[in-house]
Amino acid sequence: MLMLLVFSCGVLLAQKTISGKVTDETGIPIPNVSVVVKGLSIGTITKEDGTYSLSVPDNGRTLVFSGIDKQPVEVAIRDKATIDVVLKDQDSSLEEVVVVGYGVQSRKELTGNIVTVRGTAVADKPVQSFDAALAGRAAGVQITVPNGVLNNPPVFRIRGTNSINLSSQPLIVIDGMVTYTGDVSSTIAASNVLSNINPADIESMDILKDAAATAIYGSRAANGVVVITTKKGKKGRAKMTYDGWVGLTSPTRMWEMLNAQEYMTIKNEGTANLGIPDRYLPSYNADGSMVDTDWGDVIYRDGVSHNHGLSVSGANDMTSYFFSIGYTDQEGIVRGNDFNRKTVRFNADHKATSWLTFGLNASYANELNAATINTGSLPDAAFASAGAGRLALALPPNVSPYNPDGSYNLNGNAIGRGNNIENITFWNPQPILDKNYAHTTNNRVIGNFYLMAKPTRDITFRSSYGIDYLLTDNKNFYTALIGDGFANNGSAFSTLNKNQRWTWTNTLQYDKTFMDKHSVGLLIGSEQQKSTNEGFGLLRQGVSDAFYDVIQGGFTTPLATGLGLGENFLGSYFGRASYDYDKKYFVSGSYRRDGYSAFAPGLKWGNFYSISGAWDIAKESFWQGGLADVVNTFKLRASYGTVGNISGIGNFASFSFFSGSGLYQRNPTLTFSQAGNNLLSWETSKKTDIGFTFGLLNDRISGEFAWYNNDIDGLLLSVPNALSTGMPNSVLQNVGAMYNRGVEFTLNATPIMGKDFTWNTSFNITYNKNQVTRLAEGVDNIPTATQLETANITLPGYSIGMTYVVESRGVDPQTGRRVLVDENGRELLYDHSAPSGQRYTYRDNGQVAPNLNTALAQKVWKNTNPQYFGGFENTFKYKNFDLNILLTYQLGFYVYNGTRATTLDQRFWNSNKEVLNRWQKPGDVTDIPRLVYADNTSNGSAFPISDNVEKGDFLRLRNLSLGYNLPFEVASKLKISNARLYISGQNLFLATKYRGPDPEVSSNGTGNANQGVDRNTVGNARVLTVGLNVGF
Amino acid sequence: MKKNNLLYSLILLMILSTTGCVKDANLETFSRTSFSDATVFETKDRIENQVRGLYAGLRASNLLGSRYLIYNDVRAENFLSNDPNRVTARAAWEFSEADTDNEVNNLWNACYTVINRANLFLDGMVEKGNAVAGEDAARFNAEARFVRAVAYYSLLQFFAMPYPDGNGSKPGVPLRLVGIKGGGMNDLARSTVAQVYGQIIDDLNFAETNLPLNYSSAELNTIRAHRNTAIAFKVRAYLSMADYPSVVTEANKIVSASAPFAASTGVAHALQANIADVFSNYMTTESIFSMPFNANEQPGGQSQLGFYYMPNGVGGAAGIFYLNPSGIWGEPSWTAADERRDMTVVNDGKTWLSKYPSPGPFLDWAPIIRYSDVLLSLSEAIARTSSTVDTRAVALLNAVRNRADATTTFTTGDFATNDALIAAILLERNIEFLGEGVRSLDILRLVQPFPAKAVPGGVSVNAVAPSNQAYLWPLPSEEVRYNKLIN
Repeated sequence: MLMLLVFSCGVLLAQKTISGKVTDETGIPIPNVSVVVKGLSIGTITKEDGTYSLSVPDNGRTLVFSGIDKQPVEVAIRDKATIDVVLKDQDSSLEEVVVVGYGVQSRKELTGNIVTVRGTAVADKPVQSFDAALAGRAAGVQITVPNGVLNNPPVFRIRGTNSINLSSQPLIVIDGMVTYTGDVSSTIAASNVLSNINPADIESMDILKDAAATAIYGSRAANGVVVITTKKGKKGRAKMTYDGWVGLTSPTRMWEMLNAQEYMTIKNEGTANLGIPDRYLPSYNADGSMVDTDWGDVIYRDGVSHNHGLSVSGANDMTSYFFSIGYTDQEGIVRGNDFNRKTVRFNADHKATSWLTFGLNASYANELNAATINTGSLPDAAFASAGAGRLALALPPNVSPYNPDGSYNLNGNAIGRGNNIENITFWNPQPILDKNYAHTTNNRVIGNFYLMAKPTRDITFRSSYGIDYLLTDNKNFYTALIGDGFANNGSAFSTLNKNQRWTWTNTLQYDKTFMDKHSVGLLIGSEQQKSTNEGFGLLRQGVSDAFYDVIQGGFTTPLATGLGLGENFLGSYFGRASYDYDKKYFVSGSYRRDGYSAFAPGLKWGNFYSISGAWDIAKESFWQGGLADVVNTFKLRASYGTVGNISGIGNFASFSFFSGSGLYQRNPTLTFSQAGNNLLSWETSKKTDIGFTFGLLNDRISGEFAWYNNDIDGLLLSVPNALSTGMPNSVLQNVGAMYNRGVEFTLNATPIMGKDFTWNTSFNITYNKNQVTRLAEGVDNIPTATQLETANITLPGYSIGMTYVVESRGVDPQTGRRVLVDENGRELLYDHSAPSGQRYTYRDNGQVAPNLNTALAQKVWKNTNPQYFGGFENTFKYKNFDLNILLTYQLGFYVYNGTRATTLDQRFWNSNKEVLNRWQKPGDVTDIPRLVYADNTSNGSAFPISDNVEKGDFLRLRNLSLGYNLPFEVASKLKISNARLYISGQNLFLATKYRGPDPEVSSNGTGNANQGVDRNTVGNARVLTVGLNVGF
Repeated sequence: MKKNNLLYSLILLMILSTTGCVKDANLETFSRTSFSDATVFETKDRIENQVRGLYAGLRASNLLGSRYLIYNDVRAENFLSNDPNRVTARAAWEFSEADTDNEVNNLWNACYTVINRANLFLDGMVEKGNAVAGEDAARFNAEARFVRAVAYYSLLQFFAMPYPDGNGSKPGVPLRLVGIKGGGMNDLARSTVAQVYGQIIDDLNFAETNLPLNYSSAELNTIRAHRNTAIAFKVRAYLSMADYPSVVTEANKIVSASAPFAASTGVAHALQANIADVFSNYMTTESIFSMPFNANEQPGGQSQLGFYYMPNGVGGAAGIFYLNPSGIWGEPSWTAADERRDMTVVNDGKTWLSKYPSPGPFLDWAPIIRYSDVLLSLSEAIARTSSTVDTRAVALLNAVRNRADATTTFTTGDFATNDALIAAILLERNIEFLGEGVRSLDILRLVQPFPAKAVPGGVSVNAVAPSNQAYLWPLPSEEVRYNKLIN
């Protein structure tokens, strides 16, 4: 800490005493702030309660207040005797330091595009991982939380979808180590591995967007890089904090389904239209009342969550330390979907000698992801038999989960049909919720040790070695009563998956300023990363007694499961050179050479680079004067470079393999299992970024604008095979091309900054245009499935993952039949009551038409990529109160609402209340066709139809929180330094015309080419929390 | 002091930067669980393992392991649907299969996966394997060609009009005979039905010539092709082609001139005294070819014969199809004394087929071709090629009927015409192979309509004439999207 303790002496000038108090924006006193008379060597520091008193000579005109991590403030003295000052955190200032690859840089000197999000944006949020709380926080960053399943990885896109078959999720670097990402669970519980990081431990998240910023990460940077820095101790005495909240999580905007009476009326109308008698009849409870089950109540719940964190940190000139423990226990909206995490972190740095520093960042997490029922909301589960999202909608309200005697209502491996004549062949979720369980437990150790030597003032050598051990333990039990365990009389599996990685990084940095104005920075380095994966497990079937529900119990059949073995190695050399003249003209270049084991022999090495420059115009002499008073900062910036993508390439993808793991009647087999590509090499992107940053009125208004273009050529495509080739897989080939182009704009302002009232506002918007320009030779288009259904297509001239449906032109008012358009553009009427083979007729002449050939009749329909997205945050502070409002939005995209098809299916499935508006007589104008028993075509279940593609535009009140800071006097009486109480709500309001629960949805997780699909997924939750932050 | 710092740092730097170099050897990683394709013909064991892999491909759930049989049965009139779930053969039952349906895509895919495996094997044998396998090379090649023939035959039953309709001139399926290991091979037009059958017969002839007469165990004789297996399949293929003289020729190779009928060379195929034994002891000489299962090699989920046909809840079964009282189950001439009627259970007021009674995980072997099939095929072919009612044809029919029903014995006098005899033989086939995936084959080869059927008080399915587009399954969407020559 800077301390100036110089007292005036010997100068005989008139003196006056000025006193006052220094607080932060929340009114908490700040000790150890230096208060100096400008131009004179006179000053003091504030006390524990933030007060100070200083004798100032008459020629002292200005006081300068400066504190650690605070923006300095200058106040004119004039005739004041009391000067109270509010010091703001440095984060909103352009003075801040940003994390760049393998180093830090002053934001003023930055030539790349990096946006910094403070850890406070994700701390105290009722989320499982930090990425889920990043929506709306930064221009260019699109976060889509797929649904209300706990710890389901959010779709995380930086400047659009940048790959088709590889991952489009960014590279995540935590304290210098590239971390694992994605869902690591082998059970029905989701487990986004980023949740192993306690959000409360995060100091900052720097989002690197353009080539200048990312190229130093070379082959892994195509989707942008997020550099997470965890907290360090700050100088001063040890500080202890407690942060805790309790929350209530509820389902919101659910589908409105028919009650039992409506259900029977509707379903029996369908049978009557087919000329068969009623098949749906009421059942009665023991008390004589009619069974009327709300299956949403059976499956969903209001979950209670709580979260606690304790940290101790501090530092002196030699050593800094940050120690924390975290505990969170969260309940999701689907019964049995729980998340529990315990974390410990220890970060320490020690300056051993004048030239040698070492330090450690270490964390351990133990995390349980639990589920009882398949939510049907994770990738490849949209049509799962147990899919809770679908069961909650489709199960008939006139059957009960229980029999009148309290036993489960079962009919073999189905729910009992009650008095219905129709078999209800869905599973009864109640015993599944009661008896089944899936536990995915992660034990994760991340440790990173570094040595830093500064043999001279200009040279820094740094070597760090880190390990990342992720042990994932999956346990699953299926009851024999019903569901997945029924056919095998109950089953259990346990698997252990071990991901282990070490990373060793060495860098040498040279920084020197010559002749005051020529600053040079040079970095060279090497890095090696080795990752291994090993998995094994046991599957046991046939529970020998209903008593057992653990794998260690009695079973009749043992089988192996979850076997896996893999490794990969990434070796790299990299460097960066930067130069600036007088902090006015900046140029920088970076280079990385990566060798990756998964690529084909001879093609393992790739080169990546960037060049960039910036011009701080406001530093020019012509800018000074009146213009500078208004526009105090104006910096132009441009960059170009190439980066790559390897995320999602199999460890041995270049090889063609035969697998010998199978058996044929107890003897080994050997079968063609993988077609490789012996020319497999890098997917590369060329990124261009041009922009400017500006500050107005002494940075009271600041902003940033950028235009970017990311050309991805040599896109690795899984080139599809016709089934008759008999190929076991499609082969990745470097053939496709795609681009993302757009503009980003961010505006930050402090419209009001008074003593009692301040208002900070921040708005960002991104426009992104994604377009595929080339696929493989002979492949015009690539349709991509959502498990059993294909509703997306990718083809040149369009954005990735367009909805792909059969065009429907509503319902024919004369016949009540669905109007569909065949591949020749002719209108067909569909009548499910006609015999097979005669159900399609031409609308113009009534003649029988050939059955619709879906593969030919499906049309490229609407875009699923949000074209505009961003956030709008406002923070108001009035005295001890603070109010934060964050709105997020995505515009210009469509969603395939396949869930709506489910809720209008005319099998025994229940329907949403729209069905009450069905066609009944000639002349009825409606979008619900005439009901026909068992019709699953008119509604869009058999194949996707355009009626179920809807605009997804939305505006969401993502976060609203209201806080109250305990007045200092009260806090000090309680022997604490500060305390804040708050209430907060997530997802309180959603403005959209989308008919499903939530257009921010993804049935296919983070998939690229099948985004924008809502297929039987559970909705997003609404969360209310009450919390407390205390500092000691 | 400062000099020392510099020195220490430089030493540290040198140590770390030399060890920090990336060694190219680290970039060479190899799988320890899979074989490079270059090595799979290096030993005879690996070659034979590949042969077993071909059969394992046939055994796939979407093919002979269960679903191929189920689709063939439920498209016809003998079963009624108890479950509207389209992914468990409801669409096949009600003739509503769409090009995008998984069932359509998966059956096609399963066939071509096996075909490609066989083609890759045959290519690799020429290149290297024949030399390694030595005297066993011929039989291994023969097994591969047998498997390929079975896969092509299976495809034709769903995706092409029967051979007698236009004498094989209608579009068949793409005839792929070269192994495919990489992309760029999507486009291939359909060959005619006659061309595909021609290849099937060619493969089976090769197999007959080169397969061993028998193996060392009853188990192997049932699960791997030997000479008589190839002959039995030729009987089936020629029957589907309505080439009755060839059926007679082929069947006579493995059927004795008079009762008790048995194969006199190779595996001694014969009927078992008790029909029920065939479904409990899977390795009798009656089972010419079956798909084996055991606790470590289970049929796939929602793809087990017993799971479909046993009553809901019994042994973990789903009770998806029950016997249609108006189908063969209601046939009055099928006497109550017939032991084949005993292979049923009554549950929930419905009668269910219990040929595959093992509870989950449903390890009953899937019968693909039985000796009684050869006998009845021969009987029918004789009847169709004779001018008068043939005594041997009647004797063959009696052999099958009397084994299960001692009370009914046919005489030539019972049949006024050969057509009457043929009708009796077809009826016998319908009884004998109920639930064994044969019924649709018989309807198709005679170019008959699929009969109408109705769930009492529920949905009904009209008869589907050969002229109806639903008579065939649509070409799968995942073929049509990428094979530009398919249509």
